[in-house]
Amino acid sequence: MTTFITRRILQTLAVIVILSYVCFYLMSLMPGDPVDMMVASNPKITAEDVARLKSLYGLDQPVYKRYASWMGSIVQGDLGYSRTYRVPVQELMGPRLWNTFLLSAISLILSIAIAVPLGVLSALKPGSKTDYVVNLFSFGGISIPSFWLAIVLIILFAVKFPLLPAGGTQTIGAENMGFWADIKDRSIYLILPVLSLSIQQIGRFSRFTRSTMLEAMRNDFIRTARAKGLSRSTVIWQHGFRNALIPLITILALSFSGLFSGAILTETVFAYQGVGKLVYDSIIGNDYNVAMISFVISVSMVLLMNLVADILYGFADPRISYQ
Amino acid sequence: MLKKFAKGLCLVAGLGLSTQAVAAPTNAELKIGISQEFETMNPLIMSMSASAYMYRMVGRSLVVLTPDGKWVTQLAKEIPSLEKGTAKIIEEGGKKKIVANWEIIESAKWGDGKPVICQDFITSHTIATSPTVSVGEKEQWTQVEKIDIDPKNPKKCTFKYEKAKWDFFTLAQFFPVPTHLEKPVFDKYSKQKEGYEKNSNYVRNPTNPGLYNGPYVISDVKLGSHVAFAPNPNFYGKQPNIKKVIVKLIPNTGTMEANLRSGTIDMISTLGLDLDQALAFDKKAKAEKLAFDTHFVPSVTYEHIDLRLDNPILKDVNVRKALLYSINRDDLVKALFENKQQVALHNVSPKDPWFTADPKIITVYRYSKREAGKLLDAAGWAMGKDGYRYKDGKKLSIVFQTTAGNKTRELVQVYLQNQWKQAGIEVLIKNEPARVFFGDTMSKRKFEGMALFAWVSSPENSPRSTVYSKAIPNNSNGWSGQNYHGWTNATVDKDLEALDLEFSAKKRADLVHEILKLYTAEVPVLPLYYRSDISVTPKNLKNYKMAGHQFYETNNIEDWNLN
Repeated sequence: MTTFITRRILQTLAVIVILSYVCFYLMSLMPGDPVDMMVASNPKITAEDVARLKSLYGLDQPVYKRYASWMGSIVQGDLGYSRTYRVPVQELMGPRLWNTFLLSAISLILSIAIAVPLGVLSALKPGSKTDYVVNLFSFGGISIPSFWLAIVLIILFAVKFPLLPAGGTQTIGAENMGFWADIKDRSIYLILPVLSLSIQQIGRFSRFTRSTMLEAMRNDFIRTARAKGLSRSTVIWQHGFRNALIPLITILALSFSGLFSGAILTETVFAYQGVGKLVYDSIIGNDYNVAMISFVISVSMVLLMNLVADILYGFADPRISYQ
Repeated sequence: MLKKFAKGLCLVAGLGLSTQAVAAPTNAELKIGISQEFETMNPLIMSMSASAYMYRMVGRSLVVLTPDGKWVTQLAKEIPSLEKGTAKIIEEGGKKKIVANWEIIESAKWGDGKPVICQDFITSHTIATSPTVSVGEKEQWTQVEKIDIDPKNPKKCTFKYEKAKWDFFTLAQFFPVPTHLEKPVFDKYSKQKEGYEKNSNYVRNPTNPGLYNGPYVISDVKLGSHVAFAPNPNFYGKQPNIKKVIVKLIPNTGTMEANLRSGTIDMISTLGLDLDQALAFDKKAKAEKLAFDTHFVPSVTYEHIDLRLDNPILKDVNVRKALLYSINRDDLVKALFENKQQVALHNVSPKDPWFTADPKIITVYRYSKREAGKLLDAAGWAMGKDGYRYKDGKKLSIVFQTTAGNKTRELVQVYLQNQWKQAGIEVLIKNEPARVFFGDTMSKRKFEGMALFAWVSSPENSPRSTVYSKAIPNNSNGWSGQNYHGWTNATVDKDLEALDLEFSAKKRADLVHEILKLYTAEVPVLPLYYRSDISVTPKNLKNYKMAGHQFYETNNIEDWNLN
């Protein structure tokens, strides 16, 4: 197991380095560097200004040199400087990553907590009224565009019935009102974005759980377990659900890998101070340092969660070994 | 079960018809919504409009342009002039230069009580002209060659300008920074690339009141979320009426209205709504008698179509004129903008003292399909059976580009395409994302025929960057300059060179009028309309005056009153 994990971590690091170079190179191919964008918005910038700024930003260097310089800084713990916001990247991204993690993790945990039991329930009673109702809500959740749902939630709960804030991350100054007051305030601001994100995820996860559970419950070993006289809950959870877990682990691991990537539409509509829009803007505005760090985080999370999924497969199914 | 659910939904919908009234804001707090991102507010390096909007609440310059287009003093006691003898032209090394005496008002102080002195301007100048600091447009700083302080009075100084230009006093962006706070940072990091901007107090300690000299100081800032402002007790002018101002970023303009109606924000700034959203909101606000006013103020932003003059079809001035005659711009602004934006005659807006609509000076193009047809016939483009014009078997077909996803521009494009079709001109729309359009297609002059976009300017701003022949972007000038159409005219070049050095207002206007005469006669650009600035304010907000140019209404925020 240890050898397996060590080997996978080394592979992961190699993949991160290779992909980061590919990404850096692809970004350099995009038209318009930060100085070009500046020239387009300020007619007074002269040819001398252009040459000076390109040299200052290192944009007059070949891509591999720029990459080497960027990687060198990363290794030394310097994540660089955002040329759009004029602040060091760690200061810009740190709080936003935390906000995005909070939003994504809460909505993901809530979704799993609701969707998995719903999916199992639905699978155990296929064709029943419960199954139809769960399916109706699941398809509704999957089909409703999240940005539309977000706007409806705002209109309903912030405009028509002003119970919750229309947008934002927390009340200005709430962080100085004490620990619990701060947590309460942040929770209030999280309700609508979490609801908006969860409804879609619940639909997706419950459909997926239903189908894998249905398949697992059709196996011969379930019939055998029932014939042996095992209790209903043992048959469902220890035999059925455990076998339905392998595909579930794959999809859940992939969902967890997006915890730091941000939900751009939800964050934008709710003016939530997350990383999603920041990443989008950094790519559009050619803010290399911000875009590259977010890319590295995304790739690392995908690779890490795949590794976690591979380890969990072994726990779910002892037949899987790590040779 | 389903019936119960349906009943529940009906109940929710029924209750939803009643909208809760939101209390009008008071002088205790005003929350302003903006939709554009902002950066840290270091006046030497900030470049975003949202930052400039907010900086005017906390920082003031020697002079500023009022919404009426007049230069007035802020930190300066008076504006130096040749007539008063407070400025004079000198000759040095065969070059004409200007020296001007500036005196900072006695009461001007930083938020920590330290006086604003000439040394603060020297510090700004030193930092901004340093090769390790990434200031975009250096010329606004390098135009001042040297600042000498009066040894008897630290608030009196003489600026020596490297060129004798008429607009030497328009130093609205020449902001001071507090020497006592920023000089030590610069001294420590001046040798590192971008070392100063990474470590400046504006980044590390932005709530330090000593960084600001305006009516407010920053009390809280979260990039990507909000900035909160509190009155500056050391402000030189009258204390602001509003005790707390919060500028809140709402990146999705679609939810701006919901935020306003829910009371999350009290007003929407100039950097908030799109025109179509504002028009829709204005109607709803009137119908529902909401306590908001929607303001539409003509601005200096000039929406136009650049024509690529080395395109074989557009080379012919008759074709260019025909393009302009064949579009009904009056109808366009009425149909799409409900007359809230004004038809453009040329690149100088009516807000500018240089504006002229005099038909003796400029060529005015009124919609005339007949005139367009005559010009196209004269150019050899004959009408074919399919309703399009042909010359030597080649169809009169022009590629038309703009920024993809910009709803207003895409609507305008379709509107114009239809009108040009009626004149026998085929227009092929080929839009690109803004980043590609501005970052490559326009800046590298890769557009093929027509390009629709806007120029943001200010009153009495030389059009040098957009019509000077040396401002045609090319490889040798690092693709700088915005003469994308590639217009060259020796008289225009001569006038532009003379314009900067002309001290007589009347003669300057004459020079600009000559440029406009040629601009409208040769039609390198199709003028469309001057955009309007839009904002939504609570009905009880008094003394709010939108500028329509880059020196935003926050310049007089101390006068705003919600009582």
